[in-house]
Amino acid sequence: MPDRDENIPSPPPGRHLRARDGVLVVTLAVMLLILFKGESIRSSGEEMQPGFERNVVLAVGHPSGWIAERLPFDKWGNTLTSWLSPGEQLADSGGFDQPVRQTRQRAVPPVSPESFDPASLGAKPRPPRKLHTVLVTGDSMTLGLDLELGRRLAGRDGVRVIREPHLGTGISKTGFVDWGKLSTQQVGDKHPEATVVFIGANEGFDMPGPNGKKVVCCGPDWAAEYAFRVRRMMNTYRQRGAARVYYLTLPFPREKKRQEIARAVNAAIQVASVPYRSSVRVIDTVPIFTPGERYRAAMDVDGRKQIVRQPDGIHLNGTGSKLAADAVMKRLDADFGG
Amino acid sequence: MVFPSLEFAIFFPIVLAVSWALMPRPHLWKPFILAASYVFYAAASVKFCFLLAGVALANQAGAQLVHRAPGERRRKQIAAATVAIDLGVLGLFKYYNFFSDDIGSFLDSIHLGLSPPLLSLALPVGLSFWTFQAISYVVDVKRRVIEPGKTIDVALYLSFFPHVVAGPIVRAREFLPQLQTPRDPRDVAVGPAVVLIGIGLVKKVAIADFLARSVVDPVFGVPQAYHAQDVALAAYGYAAQIYCDFSGYTDIAIGVALLMGIVFPRNFNSPYRATSFRDFWRRWHITLSRFLRDFLYIPLGGNRHGNLQTARNIMITMLLGGLWHGAAWGFILWGGLHGVGLVVERQLRGRVSAPAWLRWAIVFNLVVLGWVLFRSESISLAGTFLSRLADPGPATLWTFPVVLAIVATVGLQLLPPRPLDALRLRAAQLSPAALGTALALVIAFVGATVPSQAVPPFIYFQF
Repeated sequence: MPDRDENIPSPPPGRHLRARDGVLVVTLAVMLLILFKGESIRSSGEEMQPGFERNVVLAVGHPSGWIAERLPFDKWGNTLTSWLSPGEQLADSGGFDQPVRQTRQRAVPPVSPESFDPASLGAKPRPPRKLHTVLVTGDSMTLGLDLELGRRLAGRDGVRVIREPHLGTGISKTGFVDWGKLSTQQVGDKHPEATVVFIGANEGFDMPGPNGKKVVCCGPDWAAEYAFRVRRMMNTYRQRGAARVYYLTLPFPREKKRQEIARAVNAAIQVASVPYRSSVRVIDTVPIFTPGERYRAAMDVDGRKQIVRQPDGIHLNGTGSKLAADAVMKRLDADFGG
Repeated sequence: MVFPSLEFAIFFPIVLAVSWALMPRPHLWKPFILAASYVFYAAASVKFCFLLAGVALANQAGAQLVHRAPGERRRKQIAAATVAIDLGVLGLFKYYNFFSDDIGSFLDSIHLGLSPPLLSLALPVGLSFWTFQAISYVVDVKRRVIEPGKTIDVALYLSFFPHVVAGPIVRAREFLPQLQTPRDPRDVAVGPAVVLIGIGLVKKVAIADFLARSVVDPVFGVPQAYHAQDVALAAYGYAAQIYCDFSGYTDIAIGVALLMGIVFPRNFNSPYRATSFRDFWRRWHITLSRFLRDFLYIPLGGNRHGNLQTARNIMITMLLGGLWHGAAWGFILWGGLHGVGLVVERQLRGRVSAPAWLRWAIVFNLVVLGWVLFRSESISLAGTFLSRLADPGPATLWTFPVVLAIVATVGLQLLPPRPLDALRLRAAQLSPAALGTALALVIAFVGATVPSQAVPPFIYFQF
């Protein structure tokens, strides 16, 4: 047998130091990051799904954020690196937090004709603008659906599909992406005639309620706050009724804890859409994928039982995305013509 | 847990400090690193920790039985049975749905109406890497290259956190001897390790992820929406992306292991510098190439039985090498393309001579063509992608940063290696304070390039 040591690969050339120097290098890097990025560490932790990892990150994030608040390094760090950041800052102020009190009404809200889909009353619907731009957006739920819609609409003359998934984001958390702010920016930049929204894989976070008090998932208070945020987004995307919004509900996930969240999210989406039925289409995926709110990984597709969900029990797989795209295309074609 | 994440930034300094504190006491160090590795793996999936542990125990039992077996025939049988277990695990989790889908479609097409049962199985992270390592361990014991290690050493070999999710595929004979005696705390390659981690972060986060979201994902997702210029840019962009993604991961893995006193073999050596397919496979995913050579190509007969047999062995090796990457026809075709390249090149050797630049251009462009098959979701989409190359139109994705990222990734590999190595060596000579500050700066600047969403996982995590 060959000598043991001759099999061990050689390390790359360079300075060899003591192990304690290695620990020092890593510790120094971490300390500098805490000084310069402490606030980001805290907000990252707050954005994570509840669990052991979140607790660990917050155990470091809270003191880091506390330090960052008291020293100027965090601001210097952001100034130094902001030129590298892609896109505009989508967190912080100017989103869901800002005009809550201005828009919330205490009186009985009036019911407008916008609350009715003319087609459902046998009336002639107001024709939308000619379809040029379709925005497909949301969180990781969008992945797959966006590709499918992109492929189906690619052959249509003059139609452009913009796929804009924001992975790991949620409407109930605003640390990295505030969807109130993002939706405004998307409409301002892209002016889509149709917006497809599929979001909800990362929900369930506490939100500040109307009186500033924290609301916890998943009771009526939380659903009401969530619905309020969704309604604001719908209103932004529908552009005073000139555009159409296709908002998908969540197919029921496998885990019981997530099912509670999905139930609240879906109820909120339905309530949120009520004033805008003329321009917002809620595409209910529950009867398609999980009738009776019962999770199933496989279902009959084209006469054969096929898996439609990802192994994580949350997302749709390629086959599932095709079915979701069928449902969206049906409504889109009804509005804009096939 | 991925390397460029907050969780890892908290996990690693603690593990590193405790690891060196326990290093003089192997009976404490090994269980600690094993536990840390399982915590790291559990962040991806707790339930698959049991699978990883089961594979480690099964292979250790197999290796012990092989070692004690009286005759060569018995050794061979036990080794084959153990390898079959490894391949069975790999087959069930990685290939079952692919083949059951195709078999189901076929049975449907001939109106038999019988379908294999559907299983919604998640792919355990790094499965292909640790099953190959397990195979290499048992086969090397059978070949008497190594003796069976202690059970805890073997468990650590398979689960060691720097390589458990995406390699490099370290051989047992390279890893186990490093566990025999405590690593020397006075001789740690800190400088090279920090430089590798920094370079890996830049490659992965600043280049690979940037190219993915700017050009690769949009075009490969819906190729029919783009014209020739953008499609060509996406093809070269993916070549740059996959190199930066995978070699970036490997750089970080090697650097992290080095800081812990463990040396991993090199996995990349400027692959886009290659002037032949053989040269490419000596530079790309080197640890997989040598695994396929030692455990598949040579046992099949290698080049010992004439041209036809050699061509057959190359094709089998490359097709299975393609399939190793995943259950999709695109991977198999990709392996087939490289196999054909290797066979043709072998036939032409000594008969045709061409200038180096021409050989480079042919090989590089064929490699890029292979990446199109590799990246496309399906064969039909790959066909659409390639057909769009014949349809010129407006170039909408050609921006300076995208072109710069692609040209720099390929161009730096074409430069003579010496000046770059000298630069790297110079950085690796810095003092600990300078290294720590430089690492923090790299992390801060690289982090600033990430848009407001999670860092996407490394491409090779899915394999």
